[in-house]
Amino acid sequence: MDLVISKLPHLLEGSVVTLQLTVVAVIFGMILGLFLALGRLSKNIVIDKICWFYIWLFRGTPLIMQIFFFYYGLPLIFGNAMSFSAMTNAYIALSLNSAAYLAEIIRAAIQSIDKGQMEAAKALGMSYGQAMRRIIVPQSYRRLIPPVGNEVIALLKDSALVSTIGMAELLRNTTQIVNSTGNALIYLPSAALYLLMTSLFTFIFEKLEKKYSVYE
Amino acid sequence: MGRMIKVENVYKSFGTLEVLKNINLEVQQGEVLCIIGPSGSGKSTLLRCLNHLEVITSGKIMIENELIAEKIDGKSQFKISHKKVSEICTELGMVFQRFNLFPHMTVIQNIIEAPVTVKKVPKDEAISYGMELLKMVGLEDKKDEYPTRLSGGQQQRVAIARALAMRPKIMLFDEPTSALDPELVGEVLEVMKKLARDGMTMIVVTHEMGFAREVGTRVIFMDKGEISEEGSPEEIFTNPKNERTRAFLQKVL
Repeated sequence: MDLVISKLPHLLEGSVVTLQLTVVAVIFGMILGLFLALGRLSKNIVIDKICWFYIWLFRGTPLIMQIFFFYYGLPLIFGNAMSFSAMTNAYIALSLNSAAYLAEIIRAAIQSIDKGQMEAAKALGMSYGQAMRRIIVPQSYRRLIPPVGNEVIALLKDSALVSTIGMAELLRNTTQIVNSTGNALIYLPSAALYLLMTSLFTFIFEKLEKKYSVYE
Repeated sequence: MGRMIKVENVYKSFGTLEVLKNINLEVQQGEVLCIIGPSGSGKSTLLRCLNHLEVITSGKIMIENELIAEKIDGKSQFKISHKKVSEICTELGMVFQRFNLFPHMTVIQNIIEAPVTVKKVPKDEAISYGMELLKMVGLEDKKDEYPTRLSGGQQQRVAIARALAMRPKIMLFDEPTSALDPELVGEVLEVMKKLARDGMTMIVVTHEMGFAREVGTRVIFMDKGEISEEGSPEEIFTNPKNERTRAFLQKVL
């Protein structure tokens, strides 16, 4: 117990990094994912195929391999210009990877909106862009929340993978403590911290779901 | 009285299925044109071609002397920008069978949405005109409700107000009462009658023969993608010339 208390600040520091990684990756993933989803829905075949390829690539290969590729592979191919710190790398890899998953979630949500909504918007003289921005995408929020909640929780746990390139997040800090003290029980409070964080997100998404359900 | 709509030799196919065959039609200002006929006869498709929800395969469509579509075998015969098309189409208000209100917006938000985003009308101006329209359809007390909280008849009346908010010169109604419980049909028809009395040019695809007879200035009977009979309500309902019109009316009246 004393050990846990004395090492708690170190674990909390790691938790903060894990949270940062998750939040940043989700925000950038959502933005890129929205563009990918709109691209997949585009009538332009080239745009559609490019977005399809991106999603195919990032969903079809292991995340840890993508992390290694950005960290070790890019500098080998493009020289030091493409050599980033472990932190930048972690942000990039997690964002690009989650964008692929979020894109498919967003696309499915948009496609589930009744076709009559787009027709009504067009009949009122709205352009495709206006209709998407004002009518279709806002209606997809409510349907996005449960699957995005899933994705955020998965991402939070997957962020542990960036410990392999030396990011001082929760798993890496835990492992450090285990290695220096020889006490593997420290994994328990660490697991509790992960649970605490995922519970936090579960709570937030439940609240969001309620908020966006007012009109249903 | 000016000519509002002119449709010339219009054909429309979905793949190999011909839905409209050689449609010719003119609508004058202030007319209430009712289109009747069995389902699958192309009534709704004709309406949807007018405001570009469907693209014609060949023929010509003019709205108020502006050419919006001219095609031969699916090829456009002139260049027209999307912007121009939607500009002309705002002259046409459309009311759908299934209302298609925006569920994430309140009644008043539904009504001011297009004027504010498309026409850039100042918000307070849009709201005061929106309230006028809500009063006209008898729903001013529902302005802050979400559409799902309203009955079908109320939703359709809001949809009519929403279309009118763009100040269209022509209103298109696509079976506006077909999705309603029988006891709610009357309130919607009442609003449509009021519009007709105020001189709105209307094209109404409908199964309400009573409405066509009472309010319509002209009736078209469509069958298998063609206009097979056209005349005053009086002629069509009491003395149909076409065999198929007679058979149809016998079934529905």
